[in-house]
Amino acid sequence: MGYDATITQLPLRALFDLQGEPSAIGDWCGDALPAFPERPNSVSERDGRTLIWTGPDHWLLSAPLGAEAGLSEELRPDDAPADIGVTALSDTVTFFAVTGPDAGAVMAVATPLDLHPDTFPADAASWTESFGTKALIRRIGEGYEIAVDRSYSDWFGAMLDRVVA
Amino acid sequence: MAAEPGRLPEGGRIDRSRPLQFRFDGRAYTGFEGDTLASALLANRVRITARSFKYHRPRGVMGAGPEEPATLVELEGDLASGNRPATTVRLTDGLVARSVNAWPSASFDLGAVNQALARFIPAGFYYKTFKWPDWHLYEPSIRKAAGLAGAPRESSNDGYEARHAHTDLLIAGAGPAGLMAALVAGRAGARVMIVDEGAEAGGSLLNRRLSIGDQPAMGWVAAAVAELSAMDNVIHLQNATVWAYREHNLLMVHERSPENSSLSGRSWRVRAGQVITATGAIERMMVFEGNDRPGVMLASAVQAYVNRWAVRSGQRAAVFTNNDSVYAAAADMARAGIDVAAIIDSRDSVPDHARALVPGMEILAGHTVGKVHGRRGLRAVTVAGRRIDCDLLAVSGGWNPAVHLYSQSRSRIVWDERLASFVPGDAAQAVLAAGAANGAMTLGAALAEGAARALAAVAALGRAAAMPALPEAVDTPYTVAPLWTAPGAAAKSFLDVQNDVTVADIELALREGYSNIEHVKRYTTGGMGIDQGKTGNVNIIGAVAERQGKTPGEVGVTTFRPPYTPVDFGAIAGRRAGPVVLPYRHTPLTGWHKDHGAVMYEAGARWRRPGYYPRPGESFQDSVNREARTVREGVGIYDGSPLGKYEVKGRDAGRFLDWIYTNVMSSLTAGNGRYGLMLTDDGMILDDGVSFRLAEDRFLVSTSTGNADAVWQHMEKLLRIERPDWQVRITNVTSQWANATICGPKAREVLAAMGTDIDLAQGAFPFMAFRDGTVADLPTRVVRVSFTGELSFEVNVRPRDLPTLWEAAMEAGRSHGIAPIGSEANHVLRVEKGFLSLGHEVDGTVDPHDLGMGWVMSKKKPDFLGKRSVALRRSAGRPRRELVGIRPLDPDRQIPEGAPLTPGGRKEATEGFVTACVWSVVESRWVGLALLTDGRARIGGRAYVRLPDGIIEVALCPPVFHDPEGERLRS
Amino acid sequence: MLLIDCPFCGKRNESEFVYGGPAMPARPADPSALDDAHWVDHLTVPPNPMGPVEERWWHLRGCGSWLTIRRDTVTHAIAEVRHGG
Repeated sequence: MGYDATITQLPLRALFDLQGEPSAIGDWCGDALPAFPERPNSVSERDGRTLIWTGPDHWLLSAPLGAEAGLSEELRPDDAPADIGVTALSDTVTFFAVTGPDAGAVMAVATPLDLHPDTFPADAASWTESFGTKALIRRIGEGYEIAVDRSYSDWFGAMLDRVVA
Repeated sequence: MAAEPGRLPEGGRIDRSRPLQFRFDGRAYTGFEGDTLASALLANRVRITARSFKYHRPRGVMGAGPEEPATLVELEGDLASGNRPATTVRLTDGLVARSVNAWPSASFDLGAVNQALARFIPAGFYYKTFKWPDWHLYEPSIRKAAGLAGAPRESSNDGYEARHAHTDLLIAGAGPAGLMAALVAGRAGARVMIVDEGAEAGGSLLNRRLSIGDQPAMGWVAAAVAELSAMDNVIHLQNATVWAYREHNLLMVHERSPENSSLSGRSWRVRAGQVITATGAIERMMVFEGNDRPGVMLASAVQAYVNRWAVRSGQRAAVFTNNDSVYAAAADMARAGIDVAAIIDSRDSVPDHARALVPGMEILAGHTVGKVHGRRGLRAVTVAGRRIDCDLLAVSGGWNPAVHLYSQSRSRIVWDERLASFVPGDAAQAVLAAGAANGAMTLGAALAEGAARALAAVAALGRAAAMPALPEAVDTPYTVAPLWTAPGAAAKSFLDVQNDVTVADIELALREGYSNIEHVKRYTTGGMGIDQGKTGNVNIIGAVAERQGKTPGEVGVTTFRPPYTPVDFGAIAGRRAGPVVLPYRHTPLTGWHKDHGAVMYEAGARWRRPGYYPRPGESFQDSVNREARTVREGVGIYDGSPLGKYEVKGRDAGRFLDWIYTNVMSSLTAGNGRYGLMLTDDGMILDDGVSFRLAEDRFLVSTSTGNADAVWQHMEKLLRIERPDWQVRITNVTSQWANATICGPKAREVLAAMGTDIDLAQGAFPFMAFRDGTVADLPTRVVRVSFTGELSFEVNVRPRDLPTLWEAAMEAGRSHGIAPIGSEANHVLRVEKGFLSLGHEVDGTVDPHDLGMGWVMSKKKPDFLGKRSVALRRSAGRPRRELVGIRPLDPDRQIPEGAPLTPGGRKEATEGFVTACVWSVVESRWVGLALLTDGRARIGGRAYVRLPDGIIEVALCPPVFHDPEGERLRS
Repeated sequence: MLLIDCPFCGKRNESEFVYGGPAMPARPADPSALDDAHWVDHLTVPPNPMGPVEERWWHLRGCGSWLTIRRDTVTHAIAEVRHGG
């Protein structure tokens, strides 16, 4: 083995879970959000803010952790109307980067999701399964980002290390 | 000159510049790069290479590939693995192998005494003989004698990897049909995987001397392989077996010793749009008395050994057949210098195209082998009273298309009278068969079919492909007239060589009424060996058909099951082995707990949690008692982060909670919480927990740790399936909130000392309320719940802040003697209070009344989940098991959790069991909880725990041992 | 390992899903109006045919949808996938 790939655990980032009809979310969040992505399981970006369409009436907004307090003031999760859900989830997800020439091989071990560019293009992002656990996968420049529930991150990081070792 | 006596001076696909040393059954031998263990043993004229499974009869190598039924070996050292057919073990320098069912060696085997007992060990012998008193009494020694290899003790090399792959077209087999299919599909731009079990591509072409176009067939193979390797859209694996065909075109591939890696093996889980099985055909054994004698081999194997490995499997041969394919084999044998004495053909008439291949060779048409001579190895055969001296008998009972994968896909296989075998029928998935695997038994037909099937597959994928010009290929036509069992075949005519199943066994099974082929298989174990009966199954079906007066098609075929060839368990597990074999979850404080000496436990839902924090000189019980007393008398702190937490939001949130909980949640006011029980609609308790109202349309629901996912699923399913019109959305915030729970009479003082803007006074912040504010300058939500029975503050923060909060609490509590508490002490504290625990008192069979919690069942709500079923069950009036407290009369007597209670301690049906038993720090004695029939009415009386080593008498009491009024937790 | 064609995500491995049981008739609006036998039937008699059956799957490790699929228990062929019940 010995894959030419690097596993890096990434710092926390600001995350907000958005649920509801897009018009209602748009009304409440206004300019805080990038445009809604056009395809399911894809991404739109603006000003360092990333919006992923993760499920029916379901989005995940992410930004650098430094933007968390500002976003929280803009989105006012506690005051959002009954028909939408806005929930801070920054601490819930731990992100890893898998980079290097063999990143694809590592991902083939890690997940049954087909990451061929025809089915998982550059702007794709999706929840899927990795080593039996729920994981969010997204393409980044020289590889992939893969994220799991924080509580699994020690085990998951060890698992990725074993694949590369 | 070759070093080995059986090696031809030239030829073969071996590298004579790379000699290899190896050991087999303790003796040293040599071979060459390119050899298999079997070809090297034959080159060294090792005739006895194995002992049979049941009778320990001497056996030699019979096949040349995965069909090998006889010679199984165990490899030692770095390559350690068991039960490998010697024909599939690539020879490497320093290889150490031994036969699996012989001691001390295959040549001299003490177990051979079983041969003399053979007539006492017929089919069903074990079932009949070892039934009384109990099969398990005999099983270990029988397993040892009827031996297969043990599991290797150490894992080998760098272990295994399991990876996923996706492809438009998976082709199983890189013989002529598979390669042609890959070329067509690859040229069309489809994503193609071509997977072959051999060391190199070519399939049957490796073993035969054929031409394609104007070049030797292997030249065409080399060109095809080179073209495929230049295509980015093609993955080509050798040494890799497609061993399972699962639903929705998922196929499992076991790749041995992958290139460019130090792995022992790699498992591929391939999801394919289309599949072509080009798996070739497998030669059948001939069934006659003594057909397992060392020196009896498949004709195709003998042919493969001379052509591919330059090995003569004998010096003087006879050939026994019922079909045409052996004539080319006989010609190759003669060309390699094997003296072919005669071809014995059971057919009365041998086609001219077959005769033409062996001019001058004696052909005994219409004859069969009557007797074989030579005890430890073949010396001669008798045909029609004539003795023919030979040390090799090459046999062919016809060919079976390898339909294993095709059949595993649930597709039909059907009897083909012309081929006298089963062939692919209607497909159940997107699968096509090509070449010999589809009954196309000549090279030209295989190439044409490979191309045609690839075109069809590519078209089904929505791509266009061009039919290539097919090269010319000359091959002998194939005709066969089945001979299922030779005249006189009986107790030494082996149908399944590996499992020692004979014609006599089949006849016994039929006599005893096992007439269905699946029953014959199970009763005789025919076809149930590692080789899965590749050379024998169809013979068994034919033999049964013959005896039942049916056609084999009417008898039918037994189910083909994975794996096609043996697979290492490690390859299936992949990297999920050792310390990461199961997922584990941690909290932000896991490191702190370990640094402070906690003994970590595997708790529910994969969490690793501190069990207790032993101090120097403490026993386990000392530590648990100290921690429990700390909470009862002073202040303790524990990490409650794993508790399940869900935000439930929407216009109908309150209505939804009223429906799923037994009590009313919608009447809560913001800032307050309520304990509730959640039932499934069968009236049993699913979970317990506290729900808080955050706002008019927003609740926070907490669940037990182990049940968090199950409760989430329960809620989501109800909403999306039963109540899609209700506006409720659920967000899992379990990992968004972590908490440190400060508990004990001094908890309020510690929290105050940490600094908070929350008014902690009892009146301002009552039990079951929560307050948002700051503690130690951190944003928090403080909740007044109690799982210990003491004053308790659950301080929730963002996980990133938990270590800071925890350290602040430890600092503020130092003067009060604060100490961390593990799950053991928590268990003691909750048992003393009679708080229920999922998995202890709640096991899916109890309702709230059983636990004395009838008060939680709302009488106001017309309906909630479980209400109807609880009422229905109660209306029957039958006695129920009810929760009680127990005190063993001997205060120092611990009772194992789960111990049964029986009437009077007698050997009778149980009337309940002990759900928990702990050393109570408030009573300084063992106390427990139990579920006991009519328990509440029996409080004040006695019950009896019945254990193997005695009976424990216990006094029954209410299920609470501490602060029954709950004054302390409300304080 | 099934391949389930999620209306939102496309074809995904069974390992992303949680089996939610066979599709049962909708829960009666007023269980107390049912006689005992009918209520017990409702709870305890799931469909279990050899052939097509409707069942629920939760796309827990995907988009979070609850799906109802019609699957042949003999061949595993999935004839229909739809959101919700």
